[in-house]
Amino acid sequence: MLKTIKNSRGILGMNARNLVYIRPNNSIKATDLANNKLRSKEVLFKAGIPVPKVYGIIRSRRELENFKWENLPKSFVLKPNRGMGGEGIKVIYGQKKDQGWISTESEAVSIKDLHSHIMNIFDGFYSLYGGEDIAFFEERIKISSSLKPYSYRGIPDIRVIVYNNVPVMAMLRLSTKESGGKANLHLGGIGVGIDISTGVTTNAIMHDQIIEKTPDSKLKLSGIRIPYWKEILEIAIKCQKASGLGYIGVDIAIDKERGPVVLEVNAHAGLSIQIANLAPLKYRLEKVRGLKIKSEAHAIRVAQDLFGGEVEQEIEEISGKQILGIIENVKIRRRVIQEDISSESNIADKEKKEDLEKKAKQEEFIELKAKIDTGAGYSSIDKKLARELGYGDIIDEFDLVTKDFVVNHNTDSEELDLRIKDYLDKWGDDFSAILAKSSHGVTYRLVIKMDIVLSGIKIHTSFSVIDRSELQFPVLVGRKSMKNFLVDPLKSSQETIII
Amino acid sequence: MSDLVKLIVNQHVDLNTVYLLLALPFIATLIAAFRQVVGVKSFGIYAPLVLTFAFWATDLKYGLTIFAVIFVTGTAVRYILKKMRLLYMPRMAIVLTVISIAILALLAIGGHYRRFGLSSTSILPILIMITLIEKFISAQVEKGLRTATFLSVETLLISVVGYYILIWDVFYDFVLAHPFYIVVLLVINLLLGKWSGLRLSEYLRFRKVIKNVEND
Repeated sequence: MLKTIKNSRGILGMNARNLVYIRPNNSIKATDLANNKLRSKEVLFKAGIPVPKVYGIIRSRRELENFKWENLPKSFVLKPNRGMGGEGIKVIYGQKKDQGWISTESEAVSIKDLHSHIMNIFDGFYSLYGGEDIAFFEERIKISSSLKPYSYRGIPDIRVIVYNNVPVMAMLRLSTKESGGKANLHLGGIGVGIDISTGVTTNAIMHDQIIEKTPDSKLKLSGIRIPYWKEILEIAIKCQKASGLGYIGVDIAIDKERGPVVLEVNAHAGLSIQIANLAPLKYRLEKVRGLKIKSEAHAIRVAQDLFGGEVEQEIEEISGKQILGIIENVKIRRRVIQEDISSESNIADKEKKEDLEKKAKQEEFIELKAKIDTGAGYSSIDKKLARELGYGDIIDEFDLVTKDFVVNHNTDSEELDLRIKDYLDKWGDDFSAILAKSSHGVTYRLVIKMDIVLSGIKIHTSFSVIDRSELQFPVLVGRKSMKNFLVDPLKSSQETIII
Repeated sequence: MSDLVKLIVNQHVDLNTVYLLLALPFIATLIAAFRQVVGVKSFGIYAPLVLTFAFWATDLKYGLTIFAVIFVTGTAVRYILKKMRLLYMPRMAIVLTVISIAILALLAIGGHYRRFGLSSTSILPILIMITLIEKFISAQVEKGLRTATFLSVETLLISVVGYYILIWDVFYDFVLAHPFYIVVLLVINLLLGKWSGLRLSEYLRFRKVIKNVEND
């Protein structure tokens, strides 16, 4: 009995959390900010933290009556601004052919349904203290492939508790059939403890009871490696600074294309995280209290040193790296061109405008299969594909400039011709050129930095533009783009493996 | 009976009123201690408090019967209405309407079977119990049926304990003899307000974590 009391000293209970950690560290102003989703989103966004985009805000009945439903994208999330515990959130998964949408619970949702849901939000039915509320539409996070199998319908999120700038404890929250696609623990979601130094999951709980496997798909819950782990910790630390909360729970989801995105910040982070981690939180909070933290990197080092488990050493070298096969799915983002808005008034530009509209309708990414080649340094992309991605004008200009003098170029110098440099400066940071020596002599090649999603991981990497029309794959991924990957020649492109 | 109580009663204040007002701080402190030290959550401090007094006014068995009827009818009506997707206020009004009818029926049935204690229950405790249904239903919506039912049982439990204290002769005599015991309650509450230790329920909730600390 005495031993139990002694061992429980490091555990954070409700009383101590409220009295010692929340009251003195979370001001009313900061708490209010955290409870107001739209305002906290704005503050986080200004601090350079990725958040889901807002598609529209409905503040009053009038705005509701005048709302242009047709402007909503195919999938979105409807949320109450001051909702609590994940209540009142409607996730729309896709558009139906005739009219209306489909929710994640596979129910048909009509405009009328959304209308009455928003009216309920107005009445404060889901809000923190039952007060009046407003509703907004935001981007639906697309579940990243590595966590998808573990979650029943909903988006898994990662809760990180940050105190005194140090991430002290983290857990992965998964939705289950019982929780109705919501990742909230009190609704029957799963909490999975995460080793803070490696981002590898440890234990799991459901209804405060320890479980080994997911109840729906029977997958093992320990040993999952959370992708983007370091970035997640950095974002959580930034959130604390931006929100002004001294004791904060940051909820981060991982989007297929955007990577980690902050869903919300909480002033009253729960205590179940201790069971999921089988570790006492108060003990950790006391350890970081009063420490002078110099930078984000310092904070992460402190957290890793103090709270890292024993699993990390052996896999440190290869930790967090995604495994690639020889052929992989790759998504390449189309070029984003800032257009002159003034051109809209010009009738002669009508064609251009139509062209623009056509472009706007296109998907943001082109998806195709790429060859993974550790024998190549630079990645390369086929000229025709690069044109399709919107780089046609640059390619034409580059070819025109380099046409005449390239053939005569017979020096070994690595220096670029000054004329090309001028053009490169004009085009911006994403463009450069390299000298390529081949049997035809020395030629210049255009190099473009593009956003790609390779096997579920987003990277910004350089491609040299060449003619690959004779080759099977229009895209080849070389060593320079493989910083965060390992290659397993036997892996097929269908599966996702993270070690 | 203390002089102070005598003085108040001599001003034509009902003795029962004096007793209940002096007992109220004790019940409130009891609920606070249940929350902070034991970890019984209940619906805030108001619900178990008024429920305790409602039980006192109706007699426990009738109070519990009325409460059960209200709770079951309210939950059932909510589930039926759920499919109709009504706005909150009108939906709540329908719930209250059906509950009123159910209580009327209950009282009439009570009278028919010569349970005059039930049929002659005064309106005030009934009203209090009916208004509590809003709290229960919004908890059902916010926290799910499981948690809400759990909270309701906890609320009920505290109220029953409070009821037995209220009707206990020893307590009755003590309160009227020493009305200044309230000062002690204030001190207790000041201490409770600064209590940062684990609640008893948390020893149970975190038992696996505690065990894990042991192994380290």
